[in-house]
Amino acid sequence: MPLPSHAERDRLRPLLWATAAFAAGALLNVDRIPLWATAVLIACAAWRLSVAAHKLPALPKFAQLILTFVLVACVVATFHTLNGLPAGTVLLVVMGSIKLLETSTRRDRFIVIGAAFFLLFAACLDRQTLARLPLYLGEAGLCCTALIVSAYGGEGLSFRFAGKLAARSLLLALPLAIVFFLFFPRLPGGFWALPARDAAVTGLGDSMSPGSISELTASYEPAFRVRFAGAIPPPQERYWRGPVLHDFDGYTWRHGAGQAYQQAALHYLGEPFRYSVTLVPSANRWWFALDTVVGSPDKRVFFSYDYDLVAREPVTQPTTYDALSYTHTESSEPLSNAARRMESALPPERNPRTRELAARLRAQAPADRDFVRAAIEFLRSGGFQYSLTPPKLDFDSVDDFLFRTREGFCGHYASAFVALMRAGGVPARVVTGYQGGEWNPIGGYFLIRQSDAHAWAEVWIDGRGWQRIDPTAIVAPERLRRGILDILPDAVSGGARLLYSTPFLARLMQGWDALNTAWNERIVKFDVNTQFGILEHLGVHSGDWTALIAALGTGLVGWLGWIAWHIGRSAGPRPADRLARAYARLCRKLAHAGIARDADEGPLAYAARIGRSRPDLMARAQPLLARYAQLRYGPVSGQVAAIATAAFERMVLRWHVARRPPRVQSRQDKSV
Amino acid sequence: MHYRRIYILPTRAGWGFACLLFCMFVAGLNYSNSTALFLTFWLVGFALVGLHLCHRNLLGIALQGATAVPAFAGDAGRLELTLENPAPLMRLRIEADLPGVAPSVTDIAARGAARLSVAVPTTVRGRILIDGLRLTTALPFGLFRAWTWVYLPVELVVYPRARGSLPLPTVAGVARGARMRGGSGGDEWLGLRAFRDGDSPRQVAWKAYARGAPLLVKEYCAAAAPERYFDFERLPNLDTERRLEQLAAWIVDAENRGERYALTLPGARLALDRGTQHRHRCLRALALHGLAPARHATAVTR
Repeated sequence: MPLPSHAERDRLRPLLWATAAFAAGALLNVDRIPLWATAVLIACAAWRLSVAAHKLPALPKFAQLILTFVLVACVVATFHTLNGLPAGTVLLVVMGSIKLLETSTRRDRFIVIGAAFFLLFAACLDRQTLARLPLYLGEAGLCCTALIVSAYGGEGLSFRFAGKLAARSLLLALPLAIVFFLFFPRLPGGFWALPARDAAVTGLGDSMSPGSISELTASYEPAFRVRFAGAIPPPQERYWRGPVLHDFDGYTWRHGAGQAYQQAALHYLGEPFRYSVTLVPSANRWWFALDTVVGSPDKRVFFSYDYDLVAREPVTQPTTYDALSYTHTESSEPLSNAARRMESALPPERNPRTRELAARLRAQAPADRDFVRAAIEFLRSGGFQYSLTPPKLDFDSVDDFLFRTREGFCGHYASAFVALMRAGGVPARVVTGYQGGEWNPIGGYFLIRQSDAHAWAEVWIDGRGWQRIDPTAIVAPERLRRGILDILPDAVSGGARLLYSTPFLARLMQGWDALNTAWNERIVKFDVNTQFGILEHLGVHSGDWTALIAALGTGLVGWLGWIAWHIGRSAGPRPADRLARAYARLCRKLAHAGIARDADEGPLAYAARIGRSRPDLMARAQPLLARYAQLRYGPVSGQVAAIATAAFERMVLRWHVARRPPRVQSRQDKSV
Repeated sequence: MHYRRIYILPTRAGWGFACLLFCMFVAGLNYSNSTALFLTFWLVGFALVGLHLCHRNLLGIALQGATAVPAFAGDAGRLELTLENPAPLMRLRIEADLPGVAPSVTDIAARGAARLSVAVPTTVRGRILIDGLRLTTALPFGLFRAWTWVYLPVELVVYPRARGSLPLPTVAGVARGARMRGGSGGDEWLGLRAFRDGDSPRQVAWKAYARGAPLLVKEYCAAAAPERYFDFERLPNLDTERRLEQLAAWIVDAENRGERYALTLPGARLALDRGTQHRHRCLRALALHGLAPARHATAVTR
């Protein structure tokens, strides 16, 4: 294929830039637009460029019209609406693509570039992660460059010129953007809400079967971040409570719906821990808190009878809440009969050997406490192994695990222990959540990953209430003190393992995570409260809008003044160099003393004239003027010249020229 | 600097951009979306920078010279402009236009100058006083248009239309040995004389100039050069304008033939001569015949 000539390519430049800006804008939304819309965009861009290169005929007007109708119908068929961000974005992509087909004038190009700007904006609206920021910056620069190239039109400006101009302009605009960002009064709540995005459901669910936790553990994705205010609980106390599972069918534990009992009143033991949690969107309704949280931390979430937090809406956006927890609790209330029945229920005719074992242990330990201890001892001494890839369990999973495989993960242990407790008549339940967390020294917070998912047990002891027992800790005590990767290196993917085992990379990732967290906390969550916080930091305690407006106005006026000065000054002739400025100063001083330099007078002629008419100034003026002549016209250059110029400047500055000549003889004669 | 004020307003694209930004602003504020709001504010700043850049694109441009090139009525006269850019930055797409006339456009290199030619349509003979010229630019972003009025003022002479059906008046006399520059192969070499304004570059003795001599013009002695006398009064059957047009046609004709001619108008007499300058003087006299002196002519107003 013969390439177009240089001139041809230059002529194509504005069109190419507009197309590139638009395509890049669509690319930012590629995760949201359906494949056919992407195809339409590519086809339209390719067609238009082929037309420009005289390889294809232009699409006739009526064909474009038909195409428009068909594509809008496609959008409606895909989304059943033209409203909303996804449908709107796709509509914009489609309409822009068609516009691209007939783009020939500057106006057309401006419309396409406007669409590109809006696509960038749409991407910013609901995907504000730090990692996308460079893409957004790039697209902003691309759009601005395209605007400049398009405005010039014709054979087009060079990329260097237009790109540099765009970058410089954006840089000059940055202070204004920052001032407006900081001080433009934000609305406390929107007029209308952004529709929730469909997010993949991740993290702990409301059921657990053998192996479900270890699936989760393979994921190195973050679940939530915790920042403690004050004391930090020791590692073995860092249990992050999630869904509590009550129903057992012999294989799978479920949260169970529709049944509940009275929450037992708690006595809190030890010191409280204050912290804030930021959840990563999971599309689940569980919120996590350090076991056991004191009441609901937010009105959007319900503190349920089993002390877990159930939100009214799935978590689709990063959610932050402050909470207060105690790691140890007691309850002296009795457990109601209904609750006892529910938490002791086992499916009949399942796991018979477990029942046998429970009966045997129970016979030796009539007290609940002793029975629990006996069960713990059974696990400790039974030759159990902690493993991520245990053999598959059959239908009676607890029997199979306790008496055959004896190899399992936290889920297996929690499941078996609770089943054993229930078989022995002790109310017990499975608690799922996370354990541990990675301390991020850069950000000063704990990062809890999906790989920290854990399951443990709670048993009811009369007079003490629900007590946490972690059977995994009995079998593999080191699990609590060290991360999952130390114990089971195969738990996670190769990439995560590499990160974990390379301190430098781990540090790098921690830094990146801290940066992301700071971005989310400081920038993404920036709101009117943050604005007042900044004002207070600046010493304004009013807490009302006027202070914000005043700050905004000051910033705006200051920026406008600065920008006018900065841009305006480069329009005139280049300002004189240092030497010329110093020389001008010297001439001003001499003029002040009464002997001004003529416009066409050289420094040496000037010196000569001073020598004739003002001999009193000669001693200082002559060497200065001679030096100027040498610096300006002599063979001095480079660093020597710079130093000499600076010295010349100083000498000029220091010389205080006498205004009038000293009294001369003739005057004295007169007075006689 | 020939102008006082630079005016600036958004272009249509600028208003469109403002609408776009307003939509972004409302949506960003509503959703309290930091990234989107920041983008919006940034683009507002970008547009405002564009306003200043547009202003600067025009600021400091100096009009170094404006010459009006005469034309025959009905043809387009030209206003030749030299724009100087003293600043170390390139000026993009500076348009110069007169009301109702398509603008001519040029870039001016950093510390450079550019020549622009603006067409001035003419209808009747006389003078057009062009006292104002508009310099415009919408660059670099196309969102704003800045313009300024440059006070010239320049007078454009519009010659009468060169048309007439009468033949050239009979040759009044043939001056033997009349000096003539250039000429055909049969002419005799006369010598060199100093260059005078109006001499054709073809007659310049470039070889001598290259050797270091001053600008000299080669002169030949014409074998025979007819002389013609054009007199307004000798065209009694025509009205004034027709007479002027006829005279203009004769002058053009005679000049093209390389003949010497003199022109007599009521109140004006131009002696026998030839050459571009002479032709202009004659045609100018025709153009201004019967018109009051300057200022009361057809003026192109703002």
